[in-house]
Amino acid sequence: MKPRAFLVALALSGAALSPAAHATGLATCDSGAREGWQTQEKLTAMLKEKGWQVRRIKEDGGCFEVYALNEKGERVEAYFHPRTLAPVPTGSKDHKG
Amino acid sequence: MSAEVRVWDPLLRIAHWTLAASILAAWITAELKVDAAKRAHEWVGYAALAVIALRLAWGWIGPRYARFRQFVRSSSVTLAYARALIAHAEPRYIGHNPLGGWAVVALIALAAAAGLSGWLSVTDRFWGVKWVQELHEGLGNALYFLVGLHLGGVIFTSWRHRENLVLAMLTGRKPAPRPGDVD
Repeated sequence: MKPRAFLVALALSGAALSPAAHATGLATCDSGAREGWQTQEKLTAMLKEKGWQVRRIKEDGGCFEVYALNEKGERVEAYFHPRTLAPVPTGSKDHKG
Repeated sequence: MSAEVRVWDPLLRIAHWTLAASILAAWITAELKVDAAKRAHEWVGYAALAVIALRLAWGWIGPRYARFRQFVRSSSVTLAYARALIAHAEPRYIGHNPLGGWAVVALIALAAAAGLSGWLSVTDRFWGVKWVQELHEGLGNALYFLVGLHLGGVIFTSWRHRENLVLAMLTGRKPAPRPGDVD
């Protein structure tokens, strides 16, 4: 192989491996402006009521993404709509809530 | 056909390509946005950890070129090699060269740390714990960066010494030592 081919291969491998940082989103929500959103605290309280142990809530794809142990003590990663706090099935796109 | 020597034993090669495939699969399954990929990502991580455990044991009991003692060189030897590299006068090594040897150590350490932190992140105790998740992502990204460096090093060294190191990792054979080579 010629040196130039090596450089091309090197550049390609570099481009292919450049870190791609984005959400892992299993669902997306059509949740609009943030003003109409419910608070994460309210969602936490609601889930606690159900017997969930909430570990982390973050925004993902316009949804609230919740890491928790559910009422049976099982690990769950669940999505909720920020406007309605209704569960969003994973795999659903632009969920209206 | 010029003379060749056997350098990489079959188990070492299988471990190398299994780990390489695991890292590639871990990357793909981490990027895919489906439930099935998340489960696959976990199993790929466990497979990588198993391969690493095997490779570590092989580094003590395996054949000559598989042993850490053969290729993990002192800082002075490694620095001298790096200086020679800059001066375009680095010798060819039959096994790993000093920088390649340290790349092996760093890759194994990072892959193990990424695997273990991933395992931790799916235990009941650390499920959804932010620092564990961020640690796992950071280690994963550092690993991909190091894989890029490793590929660059392999390509550069192949070019410098006119030998195909990727092929050598497939067949286990390398061109026989020439005068000036380090065994």
